[in-house]
Parts: sequence; C-alpha cells; structure tokens
Amino acid sequence: MIETGIPKLDEFLGGGMPKGKSLVYFIQPGVEGEVFGMQTVYSALKNGRNCIFVVSSTIPDIIRGQFKEFGWDINSYNETFFCVDAYDPLIGAPSKEKYVVSNPESIEEFSKMIINIIKDSPPTTIVFGSLSTIIDLCGEKETISAVRDWNKMAMLYDHVMIYNFTAWPYSEETLNSIKGDLFNAVISIGGIAERVIFGQYFGILKSDWTKEIKKSMLFRVLRPGGIKLYIPKILVTGPFDSGKTTFVHALSTRAISVDRLGTTIALDHGHVDYKGFSADIFGTPGQERFDPIIKLLSGESMGVFLIVDSTNPTDFVRAKQMLEITKSYGLPMVVVANKQDLPGAMAPEEIRKQFNLPQDIPIVSVVATDKKGVFEAFEVLIDKITEGRI
Amino acid sequence: MSDYTLGIKELDNAIGGIRKGSNIMMIGPPMSGKEVILYYIMYHGSAVTENAVIMVTTRESATHILDWFKEHRLVLPLTRIGIVDCVTKTLGGAAVETENIKIASSPVDLTGIGVKISQFFEEYVMKKNIRKTQLHINSLSTILMYSNIQTVFRFLHVFTGRIKSAGALGIYMIESGMHDEQSIATLKQLFDGMIEVKSENDKNYIRIVGLSPKPTPWFEFEIDGANIKIVGSI
Repeated sequence: MIETGIPKLDEFLGGGMPKGKSLVYFIQPGVEGEVFGMQTVYSALKNGRNCIFVVSSTIPDIIRGQFKEFGWDINSYNETFFCVDAYDPLIGAPSKEKYVVSNPESIEEFSKMIINIIKDSPPTTIVFGSLSTIIDLCGEKETISAVRDWNKMAMLYDHVMIYNFTAWPYSEETLNSIKGDLFNAVISIGGIAERVIFGQYFGILKSDWTKEIKKSMLFRVLRPGGIKLYIPKILVTGPFDSGKTTFVHALSTRAISVDRLGTTIALDHGHVDYKGFSADIFGTPGQERFDPIIKLLSGESMGVFLIVDSTNPTDFVRAKQMLEITKSYGLPMVVVANKQDLPGAMAPEEIRKQFNLPQDIPIVSVVATDKKGVFEAFEVLIDKITEGRI
Repeated sequence: MSDYTLGIKELDNAIGGIRKGSNIMMIGPPMSGKEVILYYIMYHGSAVTENAVIMVTTRESATHILDWFKEHRLVLPLTRIGIVDCVTKTLGGAAVETENIKIASSPVDLTGIGVKISQFFEEYVMKKNIRKTQLHINSLSTILMYSNIQTVFRFLHVFTGRIKSAGALGIYMIESGMHDEQSIATLKQLFDGMIEVKSENDKNYIRIVGLSPKPTPWFEFEIDGANIKIVGSI
C-alpha cells in the first residue's frame, strides 16, 4: 500500500493506495485543497518512493517554495523527486526542469511526456498539481480522454496517479466522469459555507478497493505542518430552564456539567460520535448574569442548537437575545423545540410563527428527557453544516 | 435604500446607491483613469463607509498599491484591507504574506486566487464580523491574457455567485479594445451593471449602466491627485 500521507484518510482507505490505482482530490473552488497533492508527494518521498509532480499553474520553483512553507524539505530528495514543467513554456520562459511540456496547450504534447514518464520510470507516485488547469488549457473532452489513457498505462507499470482537481462549473459530463469512472478513488474536499466558507472538510466519495466509508473529517491547513484534523465545536444555547443540559447529556457519548442545584453555572461539555461525525458540544448557562461566559464559549463554533421550552412563549424573546450575545449570526442553526411531551407544548410551526423564524432555519421537536428527537436534531444540524457538499 | 456607494457623489445620486450582492464590470480604454477610480472606490469603501475591501491585483504589486495611498496621504484602515497579489511571485520578488497581503502564485493559478479571496472573506465576515465587503479585481484583462474565456467565465461564475450570497459588492475591471466583442458579451451575463469610462478629445467621462432604469448621463471627470472630480455632464 502506498500512503497518501493525509491523516485518517489512509486509515479510511485501508492503509493507503494499492499500486496501479488512481485517485483524485475533488476540490470545491475557494477551499485550500491543493495542499493534499503536495502532502501526498512529501509523504511518498519520506517513505523512499520516487515522485513526480506535474506543475501547470505556476513556476516549479514557486511550488518548491510552497513545500518549504509547509516545512517539507524536498531539496534533499534530488534523486527521487522531479517536476514536470508545464508552465514556463506557456509564458515563454526557459525551464530548468528535467521534464518540460513544450506546449502546455496541446494535450498531445502532454500525453507524449506523461506516457514516456510512465514507461521509463520505476514505480512512481505521479502527482498532478492542477488537473483543472490542464483542462482549461487543453479542453474538457480531450483531457478526460487523455487522463483515461494515463491511468490505464500507469496501472500496467505499477505507478500511483494522484490528481488535484478544482471543481469549477465545468460541463455536467466532465464533472460526472471525474466523480464517476475516471479514477479508482475520489476524495471530496469541500467548504462549510454560510455566506462565506468558514470550515473545510474531506471525505471519501468513492474508492473501489475499500468498502464505502461515509465519514467526513474537518481539517485546517497549517504553515508549517500541512493538513491537520480537528474536532468541530457546536454550541447549545437557550433561555434558563429550557433543557440545555439535558439535551447535551442526551446527545453525548460522554458529558460533564458544571452546575449548582441543577442549574448550569459555567458550562456543559459533551462529546458526540454519531454516524461518522464527531463533535464537541458546549452548553451555555441560560441566566442573564452568566452572559459574559456565553461569549467566551461561543468562539469558533461551527453550528448552534437553540433550545426553547415549547410550553413557554416568553422564552422566545430571551432566546433571540441569546443569539445576539453568542454572535452566532450567520452560523448554521437548528431550533430545538424541547418539552414536546408536556401539556400546552406548541407545535414547531406555531413556534416558527411566534418566533418569526425564516423558513430555512429548521425546527425539530424534541423530548430531551427521553432522548426523543435528539439525534434527529443533530443530523439536521450536520446536514446544515455540510450543506452544499459535492 | 442603498447598501453600497462609490463615493463619487454625482454618480451615487444618479443611481441611488448599489444594492448588496451586485457585481459590476468597470470597462474603459487604457490610461483613462480607471485605476485611480478603483483606488478611490477602495478608499471610500474602507475608510468612509467602513466596509472591508479585498483587492485582487494582477498588474501592480500589493506594496506598490499600499505605497500609492501613502504617497497621496490617504490612511487606509488596514484591519479591513486585503490584497491578493498575483504579480510579485512571478516576477521573482521577495513575497512575504502579511495580515493585509496574500500572495497567489501566478495569474494562471485561479484556484489559488480563489482560495485567497475566500480566506479574506472568512476573516472579515466570520472573524471580524464586518457585514459589508467589497471585492475588486484589477484586472480581468490580465487574467484573460493567461487563461481562455471559458476558464475565466467559470471562475467568475463561482465568485459572482459568492458575492451575491454574501451580500457583498464585486467590481471587476477590464480594458476595452483589448478583447473581442464576444468575450465581453460572454462575461457581461455575469454582471448586474457596468461602470463605463471613455476618453474623448483629451477629456475623460464616466457613466453607469444597468443599475438604474436608464443609464446615467456621461459625467466628465478630472483626476486631482487621488481625487475624482466631476466637472460636468453630457
């Protein structure tokens, strides 16, 4: 198995990639995804493999500089690392590289170079820095058909083929073949967007050598360091006595609360692992005198549960105010209509009216004391957070 | 109610301000003062109306732009200014990223440029909680020299969409007379309106099309240092 070097991904893929396979990092525009290909290069070099990096969107030396920014010293791999320069000829500059595509706008020239490398090299990890740039220069159909040939050839010669691909709005046909049959594995890299992209995740869209794994991991890109995973934080807020603590405990695999006589005075903290998604849950106190703590707790949250007591309409004013305090404006949010089992509980749609909630904020009926609806609410929020994923 | 203004009073009055989520193409011949107009809008947007402004530059380096403001004694609120520099690295200059400057590797690297724009957006909207953001691209013409029209269209399709959903304002500069009519027509589909600049008999004119029921009159303008002065209209 050849490792991709991306934390967790190798584990999901059963140890990495078998020889002869191809993999595409399918990147949503605006998400910092090209580092995936680079991290795979560095990991391959470190493991003593040969590596070739096809550079088509900038000067190879700038790419070397980027490796350095990540703290990956590739200069010591002079014997095993080479760049294919498919940029300098484009701007009419001379190239210093061993491999040069003399006309990067011609897929034939590209193919000649790649096929030669495939035939002449010992088993190598061949990484394309930007497949989308090649498509932009050489055409969609032409490039897809060439990639098909390269992947087939690579299989015969035991290479591993990795592509960074930015999913600009190409034709349906192009996107479908890239997500479909062109590669053995497709790793989708997306952004969590609510007005702007504010979090990034990756997940396996397809892999023909492992059983399907529906799992997304959130990541950050550090310089130096590269891709690091992290556990998202989800905020649970709502007025006094709406059932936040009960909700946190119902949802979490483990949880702890700082409370006094049953009222939360500092925070509830829980951790949830559900259907492949894990998150840290923070519950805030509800009483106004603890408002300063709420601000502290809400920093860097990915999403918000707003808990309201369905039997108590006076709650809604305070609930709105708490949203203001958490500054969670714009974050994915789910309103949890708690205490649905009690007499006088208002139906979710009634709450929506009273609250004047826009249609795109989901309301979920919950009885936190019985864990009813708790996981549904979690799923709805996760869907909101990863909305727009490819 | 207007969500954004350009800071050129006569033009703002004529169109009644610009609605959030608008994408505007600024087109005109070389040397007609477009760049100064864009800098003027950048200063007005950030310093006067307290918006965040993200400037993508493919012509001048980021430090050059910041120096321009210094030379004209204009103080930019740097906490709300982000420049994506697509020039410095390809020229082999020392490129260091700062709080205000992010470096893209080349004008071909639309993926990289897109990432940097998104990062600034995240910072202003999510971290600094600034509700209004302007994205200026100077210029599409350079990007079009390196990439074909479909590629640029796809790139803009994504980012004009983001501007819409974020309720921001996008201004994209393009040189007239450098590209064929069809390319301009293709790109026009993505925009809500145009700022047109023209030069005639040594005089410069500006008007706005598409943001009000009728195009505004052509205003004659003069550049005085960093100032845009409207001196008449036709």
